[in-house]
Amino acid sequence: MRVPISWLREFVALPPDAQAIADRLAMLGFPVAEIERRPTITGVVTARIAALEKHPNADRLQVAQVDVGADAPLTIATAATNVAAGQTIAVATIGAQLPALTIAPRTMRGVASQGMMISAEELALPGEWFEDGIMQLEPDCDLGLDVVDLFGLDTAVLDVEITTNRPDAMSIVGLARELAASYGSALRLPDFVNPGRAADPPGEEPKVLIESDDCYRFVSQRIDDVRVAPAPAWMRVRLALSGQRPINNLVDVSNYVMLETGQPLHFYDARAIHGGRLIVRRARDGESIVTLDGVTRTLSPQALVIADDERPLCLAGLMGGAASEVAPETTAIVLEAANFNGVRVRRMSNALALRTEASSRHEKSLPPALTDLGAARAAALLHALGATVYQPHAYGGPVTRPPAIALKVADVARLLGLPLAAQTIEHHLVALGCEVERVEPETWAVTPPAWRCDLAIAADLIEEVARVEGYERIPVVVPSVAAHEISSAAFTLESRISQALKGLGYREIITQSLRGAGSVEVRNPLSEEQRFLRDSLAPGIIEYLAENASPIRVFEIGEVFDSGGNGVVERSLLTFGFSADPLEEPPWRDSDFLALKGDCEQLLRGITGRDAEMKRATHPGFHPGKTALATLDEREVAHLGRVDPRTAKASDLRRPAYLCVVDIASLPVYETPRYRVPSRYPSTYRDVALVVDIGVSARDIERAIGAAVGSLCTGATVFDEYRGPQIGEGRKSLAARVTLQRFDATITDEEADAAVALLLGALQKEFGAEIRT
Amino acid sequence: MTELANKLDDVSQRFAAAVDRANDEQALESVRVAYLGRNGEVTAVRRAIGALPPSERPEAGRVINDAVAAMEQRVAAAYEALESRQFDSELAASIDVTFPSIGKPAGSIHPVRRIIEESCAYFARHGFAVVVGPEAEPDYYNFDALNIPGDHPAREGFDSFWISDTLLLRPHTSPMQIRTMQQHRPPIAIVAPGKCFRRDAVDARHLFQFHQVEGLLVAEGIHFGHLKGMLTGLCRELFGAAQSVRFRPSYFPFTEPSAEVDTTCPKCKGTGALGSQTCNMCGGSAWIELGGSGMVHPNVLREVGYDPDRYSGWAFGFGVERLGLARYEVDDIRRFVKSDPDFLAQLS
Repeated sequence: MRVPISWLREFVALPPDAQAIADRLAMLGFPVAEIERRPTITGVVTARIAALEKHPNADRLQVAQVDVGADAPLTIATAATNVAAGQTIAVATIGAQLPALTIAPRTMRGVASQGMMISAEELALPGEWFEDGIMQLEPDCDLGLDVVDLFGLDTAVLDVEITTNRPDAMSIVGLARELAASYGSALRLPDFVNPGRAADPPGEEPKVLIESDDCYRFVSQRIDDVRVAPAPAWMRVRLALSGQRPINNLVDVSNYVMLETGQPLHFYDARAIHGGRLIVRRARDGESIVTLDGVTRTLSPQALVIADDERPLCLAGLMGGAASEVAPETTAIVLEAANFNGVRVRRMSNALALRTEASSRHEKSLPPALTDLGAARAAALLHALGATVYQPHAYGGPVTRPPAIALKVADVARLLGLPLAAQTIEHHLVALGCEVERVEPETWAVTPPAWRCDLAIAADLIEEVARVEGYERIPVVVPSVAAHEISSAAFTLESRISQALKGLGYREIITQSLRGAGSVEVRNPLSEEQRFLRDSLAPGIIEYLAENASPIRVFEIGEVFDSGGNGVVERSLLTFGFSADPLEEPPWRDSDFLALKGDCEQLLRGITGRDAEMKRATHPGFHPGKTALATLDEREVAHLGRVDPRTAKASDLRRPAYLCVVDIASLPVYETPRYRVPSRYPSTYRDVALVVDIGVSARDIERAIGAAVGSLCTGATVFDEYRGPQIGEGRKSLAARVTLQRFDATITDEEADAAVALLLGALQKEFGAEIRT
Repeated sequence: MTELANKLDDVSQRFAAAVDRANDEQALESVRVAYLGRNGEVTAVRRAIGALPPSERPEAGRVINDAVAAMEQRVAAAYEALESRQFDSELAASIDVTFPSIGKPAGSIHPVRRIIEESCAYFARHGFAVVVGPEAEPDYYNFDALNIPGDHPAREGFDSFWISDTLLLRPHTSPMQIRTMQQHRPPIAIVAPGKCFRRDAVDARHLFQFHQVEGLLVAEGIHFGHLKGMLTGLCRELFGAAQSVRFRPSYFPFTEPSAEVDTTCPKCKGTGALGSQTCNMCGGSAWIELGGSGMVHPNVLREVGYDPDRYSGWAFGFGVERLGLARYEVDDIRRFVKSDPDFLAQLS
């Protein structure tokens, strides 16, 4: 909300510095997004055109004698066309400083001109919002007054953010009240007594019939003898500074009162109300209304309208209808100051995709008390403009204060950690308009003011006390936390995994969770490419690998989503891997795969304290011949392998890519390893070479060797593989090293040879292995 | 005796010459063996003692022993000199230490996780547990239990991605407050980091997918001052000891009193200016916004069965990427999602 400081100053004394006021507002809970500072303008005064003549030497110029309240009039030549004798205007005198120029005496076609008549634009106001040419002031205006002082043109405008719980503060009066309480100074409000005393003209005042619970209160007031014209300059300037375009005196009064008091108003042309009744009711299905913006809107019963006997005239809390719009020939109006259920207004606003200054206030559920205030203020302003103001009529519920709140005084210190004297607490609450009744010394009954519907519980009051006292007064205390048993295990596991992968040379990335494919759909996606929740981290990582020209190693830990029997199944996955330059290798060997497998084994060992078993597997999206499954204690924990080159190509990834996918929930908890004392006696080894079918895996051979030799065998590792024509179709040559050792004595050559003979026999028997020497 | 002495002299002299000639360990060793070894020349001299009269033998033995000691000393010195020459030649080598390093592939933790881990480590030191939870959460945990009923206007502030009538992607990490309090009795001391989603248009300051760190402390006697204490400490942990922290009143349905938390802009050191320019990190305000906080609303405590007259507590929620922008002076928040290799390398 744009708030001219000069308007605030009308109600409360404030320090001179705009920044100080902005800081104070921020510390009251109303942050200032921007301070718009005004340019320096001096030497512009109110003046009256005493006489106006044609310029003797120029057709397009006129020469005026201008009374600036001084002894002698000033002679001013002007090219403006909207000037006439008798007008009150603003004049820049010699030496005056305007944003773009400084006024000096000059001669215009032989006439010495002693100043310049001023347009709104020259006062740094939006020129298109004001009359073409010279700005017109009120005829009864005193002369020689400083225009900048008169209109508050030199004070900054604050862009204040107001939280949704404080619709009462979406107004100049509301913010002034907050500042007055904070500074401990007096709040000087305008006279909010409704001047409408006269009895209504018989038969003219429409009765209001409230048929909906969503209209809590409705103040209506008949006002006659209005004459549609531009509003007074001071009002137009204030509206313009507040970002509201001046329209005419009626529209401007309603906007002015809304900005000042927070209560949106609506004026109906009295002639347009047929049947003498205003009815607040649900719209009929299919009923339509042309709103003030010229749009024909078809309504549903969800909409709340104010109608006469024939048709809807206004969308409640949103916008009026064209049919009852104030027109140049309007002479009598009916004022509406109503209170609606905010939820209802917000739903209507959403359904009709229509947001207005009025709806942005109504949708936050305004205090009903504002209705009378708004009506009174508008009636007073219109009365001052010469209108006949009849007495207001209020319909619906009464204006009451919110119910009293029991406040335990000790709770203030308990929640804030700031001990305050009872007197101070009471003072702060009273400053905000609360009534404090000390029912007991320790428990008070605090009744909020009628405009503070947000105050409902003791904690609300404690916040009020803290705001007025100042949050900065609350001490800074480090708490000591008592022991508890809440587990950090899941987070710690993720941290350990990420540290392990960092150590293995992978960089962590975070990719989008919302993607173009998946099995769980989002109802309201931002785009088609983000319609689904990912069911795998692989596509995001593959895209990332594709975007980078050189080989790269990355990992991601994140949630994936599948649609399960009862809805959505969410899992935490780790996926890591790399893109690589192709290697010159035979098709039965892939060193990049082995490197990935090595990283996987190291990771699993580090995280679980155990060694994983690897076996050949297939998995969608992975190369059918280069994929493995990792198990720990028979439990599947990961799959890994080369990304299917077709899948990679679909993401424009041309180089080979390798990924390992770990289901984090499947990982067993870390098992503390136990130390095995090594043998004191030396070991020996034997290398064996054999030819087996290509279906026999290295791991099969290692396992069979261990089983055949028994406890003498302390290690069996296949270290070479070869395939080729000399080995034979369907066969491969493997070399393995067997490590042999005794725990009770040095192993002899005879024992070692016997063990080898044993294992070779077993390999021949189990795999048909052909032994080569 | 004289003959023996002469012979010994001759052997010693030839030995000295041979030692001086030997210029590597192998040559030196063969000289040593040839003279001092079991079958060496000195042994031959020693044998000649038997031919001397018994009265002269002790003297002869002494003379030979002295000569042998001198020879052994000489060979030891030669060994030492040889070793020293070897070190000299090794030490004469010189390289360009600025030549590009041979590195292993560098791994790194994403800056988002790094901030989360450092924040959580700080809280863990103060006795907080770190809990994590699902990203798809029922509206009960996201809203209802947090004192945001169905028609509450505050729901509009959480423009969320909905999966069904009741399930949505969490727009904040606050559901973990409810889940934890339902599973445990006070004291509750947790931080809950995690990914959140809001339907925000993406620009240099906004993401629709971002991370939060949530904190919750509930026990008897917990007050707003404790919130200030912990969050001031957190800012100093993340940004340095000179950091100031400001608490401004605000409104959140799940806290009362509520506060926005700002810390002095680390880029301009809270001055709002970089030289003669307005600071582009804080926009000249000298403060950066970290997130919301406040004392847990009594309705939230009641919802999980805690007596608000007995227990009190505070909660906060900070945006991690926002912290990252300020901490690493990143120009555009989208870089945290794009995670390009250069970005990761620079911030690792």
